[in-house]
Amino acid sequence: MLRSLRFVTTCLLTFASAQAAVDVSPATAPRMEFTPLPPGTYQLPAIQSVEDATLLDERGRPVRLSALTQDKITLLTFFYTYCADPLGCPFAHQTLNMLRDRIVRDPALAREVRFVGISCDPSTDTPDSLARYATDFTTESRFEWRFLTARSVSALLPVLDDFGQDVSVEVDGSGRATRALHHMLKVFLIDRRGRVREIYSLAYLQPEVMLNDIRTLYLEPHTSPADARTGARRPE
Amino acid sequence: MRQSSKCTVVLASIYACFGAALPNAFADETCNSPYMSNLIKGQEDFVHVWTLGVKGLGDGSDKLVTIDANPASKTYGKVVDRVPVGGRGEAHHMGFTDDRKFLWAGGLDDSKIYVFDVGTDPSKPKLVRTIADLPAKTKFIGPHTFYALPGRMLIGNLSNTADKGGVTGMALYNNKGSLIARYDMPTASIGGVKGDGYGYDIAINPAKNVLLTSSFAGWQNYMRELGDLIKDPEAMKHFGSTMVVWNLKSMQPTQVLSVPGAPLEIRWSLAPGQNWAITAAALTSKLWLIKQGEGGAWAATEVGTIGNPAQVPLPVDISITAGGKGLWVNTFMDGTTHYFDLTDPEHPKETYQKRIGSQVNMISQSWDGKRVYTTSSLLAHWDKKGADNEQFLRAFNWDGHALTPAFEVDFTKEKLGRPHHMKFTGKAGQSRTLAAIAGQ
Repeated sequence: MLRSLRFVTTCLLTFASAQAAVDVSPATAPRMEFTPLPPGTYQLPAIQSVEDATLLDERGRPVRLSALTQDKITLLTFFYTYCADPLGCPFAHQTLNMLRDRIVRDPALAREVRFVGISCDPSTDTPDSLARYATDFTTESRFEWRFLTARSVSALLPVLDDFGQDVSVEVDGSGRATRALHHMLKVFLIDRRGRVREIYSLAYLQPEVMLNDIRTLYLEPHTSPADARTGARRPE
Repeated sequence: MRQSSKCTVVLASIYACFGAALPNAFADETCNSPYMSNLIKGQEDFVHVWTLGVKGLGDGSDKLVTIDANPASKTYGKVVDRVPVGGRGEAHHMGFTDDRKFLWAGGLDDSKIYVFDVGTDPSKPKLVRTIADLPAKTKFIGPHTFYALPGRMLIGNLSNTADKGGVTGMALYNNKGSLIARYDMPTASIGGVKGDGYGYDIAINPAKNVLLTSSFAGWQNYMRELGDLIKDPEAMKHFGSTMVVWNLKSMQPTQVLSVPGAPLEIRWSLAPGQNWAITAAALTSKLWLIKQGEGGAWAATEVGTIGNPAQVPLPVDISITAGGKGLWVNTFMDGTTHYFDLTDPEHPKETYQKRIGSQVNMISQSWDGKRVYTTSSLLAHWDKKGADNEQFLRAFNWDGHALTPAFEVDFTKEKLGRPHHMKFTGKAGQSRTLAAIAGQ
């Protein structure tokens, strides 16, 4: 599953800045000891809108982020291909895999949902490496799962900043960057209008709840951003 | 008569007359939100202290004071930074954002929220944002508890703009500082218990999808001189006596629990599978256990006594050990910290106590429990007077049997003010932000 292990070090999930005094022992998987509320019985308030940006797809083509965060319900996460922490990117993708398998059982729902992964190491994760990485996840033709990278770190930084996704880099004794990244695992649930409606960190990454949240958004009236501006309403 | 003695008598009278509740607190590494990253499980480097300004003392402003807490450092035990915010608004509590990069700190009087960057250089925090729209947008005032959710901050408030009483609610902001939603504390009966609408602390158990809140008092009471307050029988009726169980996902209250005597700080056991929480009721000086019954309903049960309730020791801040086996409880009036063995949470046993000073409020412990920090101030108008108005941070080492002094900062001598809430940070170490790397 993890092909790009050239620079494998550790993806210290949940430990945003590797502080000297900070414990870096593995986090634990989330426990879930409750029955989640049925879809549509609760509200998910809009946390923030997603700012647009230009990124690159697996073929190196420029793509507007807004094209992949609107008109469908989107689960978006940041990752890097060589992350090896079992409770880091691999755990997030394992959870998303399970969710995808559940979602495709409902073809109508599957048409309305997409997953997006954005690399937080554009220097390593080139479009070519993304394309290779994506083959492990884009096995289901009925489901849209996209992977993006950026032209440069500078092009990525505004996106990270907008999502509040911090990423830090280990430095060596000379203060030079190594290949060890640290980032706090977050998965963003984005509605059809491009608004973040839920954010899942590790303690919150509960697939049953996530599926019900997706269905809650699915049950909402479908109004695209363009329709919202004109007052138009799409057929249900 | 010394002020402390007078105050004790006064508070004893309050209790005897009204059976109502009082004060507050909250802190430490074991009480952070479960959604927060970067728990410091080794040696903390800095203790940040949200400090109330005192007129005529130094710059007189509320400020974030940073103290070096690493024994290996040359400046160990010294104040290494101070960030005044330019006014006195009753500085009180703080909370980290989920990524531990920013500290949100509130003023109970001016209802302003100050956001400090402690991630870039924790030895030199910077004030990066002031949020002043809480009263206008929510009608709540007195932001007390700052509890991180992924990408956002849930704020437990103490009062409201209409009558400045205790009926209040929670406000949810995103990490950019924009209001997302507001939630009223329940005033109706739920599960046979009528809500009082009061608020105070917030504590979440993600595994149970449960949020607990507790209750204190409104601006009319906490901003009043204690001597005046206790002479007002009507005002003394207005203290919280409930806790509320919320469905975290829907943010709807599901149960109101009767917990008389102003239940203040709430601490969930952090031991996996131990789905219970504990709180201390200030005026009744009791420990309460909140636990789910076999039928799924939650219940609050009185499980212990702190000191001699007849003397109104006034338990304020509590701090649970990482393993959920021990609990520190500070009692303000006698300036004493108590350690309870929580091996059986249904029957806490006090196994140690030590007088810290003439007054003591907050207590914070390191994740490993080896270091314990205390501060003195409760509220500007409720602190003791005269010689008993000691204002300090006193740090101790804990070997499981006794507290031994580590260092002390005299906040009056240093012209800092009244020290209240504490939070820990660690040095950046061998990592840099991606932005910093890109800028190299």
